Amino acid sequence: MKNTSKIIPCYAADTSGVCSALYELGGMTVVHDASGCNSTYSTHDEPRWYDKKSRIFISALTEMDAIMGDDEKLIRDTVSAAKDLAPNFIALCGSPMPMMTGVDFEAIAEEVQRRSGVRTFGLRTNGTHSYLKGASQAFLEIVKEFVKEPTERTKMGVNILGAMPLDFSAEGTINSIKEWLAEYGFELVSCLAMGSELSDISKAAAARVNLVISYSGLAAAQYMNRKFGIPYVCGVPVGRRFSKKLAENLWLAVQEQQSLYTCADRRTDEEGVQVIGESIFAGSLAAAFTMDMGRYARVICPLDTDISLLAKGDLDISAEEDIEKALNGGGTDGVAADPMYRYISPENAEFFETPHFAFSGRCYQKKALDLINKPIGEIFE
Amino acid sequence: MIKLALYGKGGIGKSTCTANLAAAFASLGKRVIQIGCDPKADSTMNLLGGTPVMPVMDYMREHDDEPTSVDEISKTGFGGVLCIETGGPTPGLGCAGRGIITTFSLLEELELFERFKPDVVLYDVLGDVVCGGFAAPIREGYASQVLIVTSGEKMALYAANNINSAVKNFEDRSYAKVRGIIMNRRSVENEEEKVRAFAEKAGLEIAADIPRSDDIIRCEDMGKTVIEGDPRCEAAQRFLALAKKLIEEDNDNE
Repeated sequence: MKNTSKIIPCYAADTSGVCSALYELGGMTVVHDASGCNSTYSTHDEPRWYDKKSRIFISALTEMDAIMGDDEKLIRDTVSAAKDLAPNFIALCGSPMPMMTGVDFEAIAEEVQRRSGVRTFGLRTNGTHSYLKGASQAFLEIVKEFVKEPTERTKMGVNILGAMPLDFSAEGTINSIKEWLAEYGFELVSCLAMGSELSDISKAAAARVNLVISYSGLAAAQYMNRKFGIPYVCGVPVGRRFSKKLAENLWLAVQEQQSLYTCADRRTDEEGVQVIGESIFAGSLAAAFTMDMGRYARVICPLDTDISLLAKGDLDISAEEDIEKALNGGGTDGVAADPMYRYISPENAEFFETPHFAFSGRCYQKKALDLINKPIGEIFE
Repeated sequence: MIKLALYGKGGIGKSTCTANLAAAFASLGKRVIQIGCDPKADSTMNLLGGTPVMPVMDYMREHDDEPTSVDEISKTGFGGVLCIETGGPTPGLGCAGRGIITTFSLLEELELFERFKPDVVLYDVLGDVVCGGFAAPIREGYASQVLIVTSGEKMALYAANNINSAVKNFEDRSYAKVRGIIMNRRSVENEEEKVRAFAEKAGLEIAADIPRSDDIIRCEDMGKTVIEGDPRCEAAQRFLALAKKLIEEDNDNE
């Protein structure tokens, strides 16, 4: 029964990650799935649904379409909608049913593009991976397709990569990151992808450095590093002292032209606070626990990540039973995680609630915290 | 890079032709990967002295997890040919086509081509293009050319025609194109005329003519291809000639 969660929920799927990543960019996202599933991707997993319009479609795949492999219907409907809506781009992605029948989204995207004249890309989602995998692909495609060679570089421009409500749902969090950047003398070029238009993102190569705030932005950052020579720094400016260190590392990255994994630059302690979540955020919070509160911490990352984003001693585990075992190993004196993790945490451990929309949706949305550049010791007390 | 998929009716000798062609390429100094895309997982057996490699699907079933390196799901055979088998689900259960797609995604994640840097990749595909999974080897990034294996038997030619039509259905996509036919003789009456008539009608070239040969059977009994077991025999020479022709074409295209 390994990998079966009996108590905790699972994270939002890759399809939701694509929809969230592309939500504000003026494109058309088409999920090849049965009718009705849009409510999962676009309402349950999307806090912007009620106040901000987006073009997310479900193909209304039927059993017979799946058996017959009727790609033409998907192509025709997508092209027809694109002609009416003139989107900036079209993203096609899959769900479990097309995964089983082996639909080739990249080939279909080519056909849609040829017929519609709109830039179209296919994404390899199937509803069985985490939202980070879907969002990562979507951000990478956007950067590959739309970021142009810069005519000139800004003096101290920065892009934020990996911004989605699935990871940053507390109201004002992304704005707080922007304010923190300004406080340290950085100029925001674009934010991929909250609060920026596609036209802003197309100018992203004018930046001097990229700030990667979630694993979902790492592939795009690495691409921009290879293509435009822009270094990147991984971390979320949580807490007072870690925020300062992160800002200093952004400057250092520009000066040294070197990418830095600041979220992983810390000492871990398996008997300290167990921070569970997305690797860049969790690593940053673990560092903030040490720097602001003098408490050592260890990250438990149940999601897709890169080894460079974890410190020695962190755990890259995803099965509920493994996480439960790690939490109840004896030394845990605190847990910082989504409140849903309380049910597998030791009863006597101090619990720091950090609601994660990709995990518990709206259940604890009102409790979501903006920890950006704030003294976390005071907040958690 | 030469990227070929071999299709044809079940039992027509696809695995024999693929393994011999792989061995021929290898003996001409090429780095070769052969990927068997059949739940029977017997495509590469004669490159491995009759000792099979663990198929990818078997690995996943046994470990309940994906392999973390190509080494866990491959074996090096005659001439350094890297042998991989997709395998399949328990007979009568699951979805074999899906197994092929999963294997391909996995091989991509494991960066098989980037790490092994092959000159030639051969896909030996089960029977007919029956569903999306069995078309996976001809998708963009995998095989760029298809060789259809057929004899002069009616049902083999019928299957060959179906395969040709199926590949043509994907003309609008950047999929593989049919390169030609491997005539694998079965001592059928008027065999050559029958295969030539089909080839002409379909507008296809007979890329190789493999004689009905006891040498092939004898070598297979030893777990070998004729390239390894009896390289001077007629059948081996035909496979070598086909490999040379394909290498020359590839050189011309570059």
